[in-house]
Amino acid sequence: MWHVIIAVGILACAVMAIRVQRLLVSALWLAGTSALVAMLIYLLGAPEIAVIELSVGAGLVTVLFVFAINIAGEENRAVQAMIPKPLAYGAVILAVIIAGWLCLPTLTVDLPASPALTLGSSLWGDRAVDTVLQVVLIFAGVLGVLGLLAEGKTHASLENKA
Amino acid sequence: MTLSLPMIALVVVFILLGVGLYALLVVSNLIKVVVALQILGKGAVLALVIAGSLRGQANLGQSMALTVIVADTIVAVVGLALAVQVRRHFDTLDLKSLTTLRR
Amino acid sequence: MLIPAMFVSMILLPWVGAVVVWLTGDGHAWLQHNLAVTFSVLAAAASVTLLPFSKGSLVLSIPTNLTFGNFSFMIDGLGMLFAAVATVVGSLAVIFSVDYMKGEAGLGRYYAFVLFFIGAMVGLVTTANLLLVFVFWEITALCSYALISFHNDDPKAVAGGVKALIITQIGGIGLLIGALLFYSNLHTLDINDIISRVGNLPANVHSLAAFAFLIAAAAKSAQFPFQTWLPDAMEAPTPISALIHAATMVNAGVYLLARFYPAFADVAGWRLAVMIVGMLSALLAAVMALVGNDLKRVLAYSTVSQLGFMVYAVGAGGIFASQFHLMSHSVFKALLFLGAGAVIHSVGTRDMRLMGGLRKKMPLVSTVFIIGALALVGLPILNGFWSKELVLEAGLQGGPAWIFVIMLLVVSLTALYTFRCVWLVFFGEPRSHLHAHDAGVAMRVALVALAFGSLTTWLLAGPFLAWLAQSVPNQSIEIKTGAEIFLKILSAPATWGAIVLVVLGLAAWWWRDRLSGLVQAFRGVGKAAADSFGFESINRSVVNVTQVSAEALRATQTGVLNWNIFGIVAGLVIILVILALGA
Repeated sequence: MWHVIIAVGILACAVMAIRVQRLLVSALWLAGTSALVAMLIYLLGAPEIAVIELSVGAGLVTVLFVFAINIAGEENRAVQAMIPKPLAYGAVILAVIIAGWLCLPTLTVDLPASPALTLGSSLWGDRAVDTVLQVVLIFAGVLGVLGLLAEGKTHASLENKA
Repeated sequence: MTLSLPMIALVVVFILLGVGLYALLVVSNLIKVVVALQILGKGAVLALVIAGSLRGQANLGQSMALTVIVADTIVAVVGLALAVQVRRHFDTLDLKSLTTLRR
Repeated sequence: MLIPAMFVSMILLPWVGAVVVWLTGDGHAWLQHNLAVTFSVLAAAASVTLLPFSKGSLVLSIPTNLTFGNFSFMIDGLGMLFAAVATVVGSLAVIFSVDYMKGEAGLGRYYAFVLFFIGAMVGLVTTANLLLVFVFWEITALCSYALISFHNDDPKAVAGGVKALIITQIGGIGLLIGALLFYSNLHTLDINDIISRVGNLPANVHSLAAFAFLIAAAAKSAQFPFQTWLPDAMEAPTPISALIHAATMVNAGVYLLARFYPAFADVAGWRLAVMIVGMLSALLAAVMALVGNDLKRVLAYSTVSQLGFMVYAVGAGGIFASQFHLMSHSVFKALLFLGAGAVIHSVGTRDMRLMGGLRKKMPLVSTVFIIGALALVGLPILNGFWSKELVLEAGLQGGPAWIFVIMLLVVSLTALYTFRCVWLVFFGEPRSHLHAHDAGVAMRVALVALAFGSLTTWLLAGPFLAWLAQSVPNQSIEIKTGAEIFLKILSAPATWGAIVLVVLGLAAWWWRDRLSGLVQAFRGVGKAAADSFGFESINRSVVNVTQVSAEALRATQTGVLNWNIFGIVAGLVIILVILALGA
């Protein structure tokens, strides 16, 4: 019963996130989607991932969005999409329905019991390379952002001097 | 088709993927593009977790889900930094005006 | 441990040298020249020292956990010959470039690509993994394009480079198709494995792969019908023409055919097709060389013609003959190109009608050029004679007689155009006022070394045959000693027939005034040859069609994200529909 409610909630939040015009409200709806997805993941039996998803998706990314929207500012023009909406609807619904039709009827199993090993041992054992690469990726992302924003600062300071 | 938890979760995956793809087709603001990518990412995370636990390799699925979360977050971070810079240089976030390929 | 280290250094030294020379920067030209020479000579030394050890063994095997098998390299007679030729001629071309490219801009780019190319060529001929063959094949095509268009402010050079790239890449498609067919049917990418198990392929797959490889080899070696790129590639600096378009890259096609000959010899019609391709290239190119006026173009056509001889020999089953001729050809053709480079560098023009009487002003260059020309013609004592006779002998034994007769005619034409070329450049009275000086020191070193090679490499025939027979896997080559080979050549009737024809060719040039009636009769053929028998117009029309359709399709590249995502979603829908219907 709860699962259905969460599912409906996710649908509603995601749709609202892309429909609203104001970017700040859109980011808040995205945070709501994150929280509900985190809850669903927890109910599926992966508590660590749920916690990470909640803190990163609903926390970190939302804060980032707020910062970025504050700096970049809102756009006030009325914009028209390049793809006509019916076509977009049609293509996406077609894809989802065919994919769903291919996958869903094969599902008649229930969730098996919890695994023997904890997630931590698996992370650092089998997937050690993966984890190290993620750390490298994070460093790369930080460097990238610093590089991008530093260029903006010197540009702005040059503009101020000129 | 029973309404079990895996079934609902898979339906949610498809909903998120569908909404994300539709958003990528119709949005014209760069920051909305990042929002759409985030939605797609959540669908991917959910799909990995479900697939892992249904096949009995829960840990594998969850490790990959963690990787996807990290990668998606970094994409969002760098994407937002890019959006900020684009706003500073070109003074617009509209996708159609940002194109420089000749039509 | 030493042998694998030597082998790795043979490929890595030029590559490291490429990076080092490029990083030295264009402000230190002296350093760039000497670094390039050092690295290429070291690679040549490594390859020469490996020659006694190459008995067909696997020298290096890097296991990959992917589906591509092991990245293995083996050194045997076939591969190491090419590698030695590539590195030695490469180092001589680099030494020549020290003088030829003096004062040019962009030296870092030049030497980096040359060294990169040398390493890739060595890798191409020594690897035993079909995927690596393809990778190195593409690298050599890239370097060839970059070096042909080296003077990238000259539109003719750029056009020549792009044309060479496109035509050789069409050949690359053939190689890819053949490799994919092998992999999907035999599930292995190891060359020796493939050759030994080729009988398990279904017949149509087998012949498809055979002809795909033939197309790849023909495009790379500028054989019929892909011969149009090589003359236009002569816009490259002359050491590049000597290295890439005479001694190494164009031989990659012949190498591919020779390596895979045991796999394809049984395919119906393949050997005949190979022989016909070789014959047509030899004939057409010889006729086109006869009417050419650009010194380098004549040499380019001559290269195509001699490669036709080698391909003909492979088709007839004479692997040793074709490889021996390849060795001789690399030496004397590089010599001819470098000599031509010295001439062009000093007089400043490539048009032979403006030259003449240069023998007095450039004694060393004319001497070595004449040595190379005599080797090309196939006069006894020089290496070209022995190897060309072997090719004709193999062709007579392994192929139909009518092709043999046409090849004899081509021998005569070879003598004719070579003599015409030498006469127009070096003899007679100067036809225009040209400032000419003899070659510089670096040029002389390279030229004399190659001339010495032309005079002597034929002595290696016996050991070379033994080496080939013992080390190349999957081939059956009977062993003879050196003396036996020479005796066999001297006693074969084909040899004397060929010598007679060579003399006829020389005589035809000498008495060309008296033969003017004959010349008039063939004037139509001459005009067609000057238009390269219509292949240029085929080329132009293909280019036109491609450009028109590309302009028309440009409307789909809007640069807007939504369109691109729509393309992705549409593709997804198509795949899902296919899956749904297929399941």
